Amino acid sequence: MSILYSFKVAWVALKTNKVRSFLTILGIVIGIAAVVAMMSLGAGAQHLIVGQIMSMGSNNIFIEPGAFDPKKTSIMEARMEEAEIKTLKISDAQAIKNLPEIEEVAPFVIGVEKVIYKDVSKKVTFIGTTPAAHIIEATEVTLGRDFTEAEVKSQARVAVLGYKIAQDLFGNENPIGKIIRIKKTNFRVIGVLEERGTQTFMDLDEFVYVPVTTAQKLLLGIDHLKWIVAKAKSKDVIDEAVEDIRLLLRERHNIYNPTGDLTKDDFKVMSQVEAANILSSVMGVFTLFLSSIAAIALVVGGIGIMNIMLVSVTERTKEIGLRKAVGARKKDILYQFLIEAIVLTSVGGVVGIVLGILGSFFGSLVFGKMLYMQWKFFISLKAIVLGVGVAVVVGLVFGIYPARKASQLSPIEALRYE
Amino acid sequence: MIEAKDIKKIYPGIVPTVALDGVSFLIKEGEFVAIVGPSGSGKSTLMHIMGFLDRPTSGVYKFRGKSIDELDDDQLARIRNKEMGFVFQSFNLLPRTTVLDNVKLPLLYSGIAREQQDRMAREALKKVGLSHRLFHYPNQLSGGEQQRVAIARAIVNHPSVIFADEPTGNLDSKSGQQIMDILQNLNDQGHTIILVTHEKYTAQMAKRIIQLKDGRIVDDQIVAHRRLAKDGLIK
Ligand SMILES: Nc1ncnc2c1ncn2[C@@H]1O[C@H](COP(=O)(O)OP(=O)(O)OP(=O)(O)O)[C@@H](O)[C@H]1O
Ligand SMILES: [Mg+2]
Repeated sequence: MSILYSFKVAWVALKTNKVRSFLTILGIVIGIAAVVAMMSLGAGAQHLIVGQIMSMGSNNIFIEPGAFDPKKTSIMEARMEEAEIKTLKISDAQAIKNLPEIEEVAPFVIGVEKVIYKDVSKKVTFIGTTPAAHIIEATEVTLGRDFTEAEVKSQARVAVLGYKIAQDLFGNENPIGKIIRIKKTNFRVIGVLEERGTQTFMDLDEFVYVPVTTAQKLLLGIDHLKWIVAKAKSKDVIDEAVEDIRLLLRERHNIYNPTGDLTKDDFKVMSQVEAANILSSVMGVFTLFLSSIAAIALVVGGIGIMNIMLVSVTERTKEIGLRKAVGARKKDILYQFLIEAIVLTSVGGVVGIVLGILGSFFGSLVFGKMLYMQWKFFISLKAIVLGVGVAVVVGLVFGIYPARKASQLSPIEALRYE
Repeated sequence: MIEAKDIKKIYPGIVPTVALDGVSFLIKEGEFVAIVGPSGSGKSTLMHIMGFLDRPTSGVYKFRGKSIDELDDDQLARIRNKEMGFVFQSFNLLPRTTVLDNVKLPLLYSGIAREQQDRMAREALKKVGLSHRLFHYPNQLSGGEQQRVAIARAIVNHPSVIFADEPTGNLDSKSGQQIMDILQNLNDQGHTIILVTHEKYTAQMAKRIIQLKDGRIVDDQIVAHRRLAKDGLIK
C-alpha cells in the first residue's frame, strides 16, 4: 500500500469521525493561537516602550531625589510616587548646567489640578519647568510661543497647553491670550504644543506647562524639584556626565561618599539608555506573564488533544483489530494514524497561527486605543515555533502511540478491547 | 492445507478458562467443514486460531505447512488478506462507514487497482443480495443485513479459505439458504469452507462435521446425505 493510498485511507477515517477530528483540531488551534497572540503582544509592547524612550533622545540623563534602591528600579514608579525627599533644588539644576558635558538642563515639578475656562473644567496634570524642557524633549510650540527665562524668573502666570487639553478647553476658539484658572490663580495661555501622543502610559497631549517657579510657589507651595533632565553634549560623554553630576550633587548636598556607594546618596542619576534597559526588563516580566498564560492555554489544548485521542482508543483499537484481520500490516496502520495526526496538527497549526496573528493584531489595536499608544503589531516567530512544536509533538505522540500499541496486539485481542 | 495438532487454548484469569483442550485434525484443500457444538464449547476460539487471528497456548497449528510462529507480521497480514476470508460471529463492521466501503476494506490492503475494487465490492454485495444498500451505514441495517455485509467482505477478495462463524445465525430460513447456496457454490469452485453453526440442518449442507464439546472433538464425520441449499430454495 503506497503512502498516497495511506493518505486516502487516513482522509476517509478523518471524515468518518468528523466530531473527533474537529475537537482535536480545536485543541491544537486554541493552544497555538493563544501562544502566538500572547507572545506577539508582549513583544510588541516591549518594542513600543523601549522605542519611545529612545526616540526622546538618547543623550538625556535623569536626576531624581531619593537614594538608589535596588528593589525599586522603575523610573515610572519613582515619578508616580510622591517623592518625600526635598533636597533637589533649582540651584542644583543651574549648577548641573555649568558642567562641561552638559548642553541643556530642565527642572521639573508636577501636580494634578482642575483647570477652568469659562464653564469648562477639567482635571489635568500640570508640569512646572523652564523653556529648556521643550528643547530637551524636542517638542515644538506650534501656536503662540513658549514662556521665556525671564517669565520663569518673575514667576509669571502664563501657561503652554498640550494639544489635546487645548482642544478640550477651547474647541475651535483661539486659546492664545485667553485666561484659564488653575487653583484659584489666573493664567494667561501663551502657546499650544504640537501633538505628541502617549509615552510610558501617559498622554503627553493632556499636560499643561507653566514656569517652574510659578508652579512651586502658587500651585504646589514647595521649593524643591521632582526631577531634573540634563542633556549631554554627545553620546560619548554620557558616562562622564553621569559621574560628574553625582560628584557635583554630593558636594552641593554635603554628602560624604568617597566610595561612590549609590545607596548613600539622596538622589539618583540615570541615563536614558539605562532607563530604557530597565523598562525593557520590566516589559520582559510582562511578556513572561503573557507567555505563562499562553503556556497554560497550550497545556489545556494539549490535554484536550490527548483526551480526545485516548478516549477514541477503544473504538480505534477495534478498528485496528479489524483492519489487521482483513490484511493490514503494522506499517499500514502506523502510516494511516501518522497521516491522520499530521493532517490534524497541520490544519490546526495553520488555523492556530492565523488566529493568533489576528488576535495579536486586534489586541494591539485595542490596547493601543485603551492606553493611547501606537502599540506596534508584532509577530513573534519564537511563539509560532513554540506553539506549533508543542502541538505537533502532543498530536503526534498521542495520535500514534495508542495506535502503535494497538497494532502490536493480535487482531482478536484488538477486536475484543474494551 | 490445515493441520492442527493437540491445540490448547487457555485464557488466563483468576480462574483460567480452558477453551480448547487438545484438538487435532486435518483439513484438505476443497473441503467444506461444519464445526458444531454447544455454546461455549470453543468453536469461535478454534476459528480464530485457524484464521491466524490468535495464537494457541500450546500445540501446533499449520496453514499450508506454516505455523503462526514461523511467519512475521507482514507475511501473516498477506495470508489473511489473500488466502482467508473471515465472517465474525459479531460482524465487526466499521461504524459510520458505508456498506460499500466496509466491503472494500480487505481490498485496500491488497494492491488491487481502485476501479477494480469498486467493481469487486459491488459484485460481492450482489451475491449476498444487498445491491440496494450500498450507501447505507451499518446502524441503518437489520441484523441479517449486517451479517450479509460481513459475508460480502469475507468473499470480496476471492480467498482460498472462508471461515464463517454462524453466518446464518440471524437470518430467516430463506436468506440463510441463500447464504448457504453461495458458500456451496464457492466450495464447488474450489474454495475451502469452514463453517461454525449450531443448526443441524445447516451443518448437513457441509461435507464433513466436526463436533466439539468442552474444548475437545467428540465426533468427526463425513456427511452421508448432504443437503443442497438450492434444493431448499426451489421448494
Ligand atoms: N478472551 C477470553 N477470555 C477468557 N475467556 C474466554 C475468552 N474468549 C472466550 N473465552 C471462553 O472460552 C470458551 C469458549 O468460547 P468460544 O467463544 O470459543 O465459544 P463458542 O463455542 O464460540 O460459543 P458460542 O456458540 O456461544 O459462540 C467460553 O467458555 C468463553 O467463556
Ligand atoms: Mg462463538
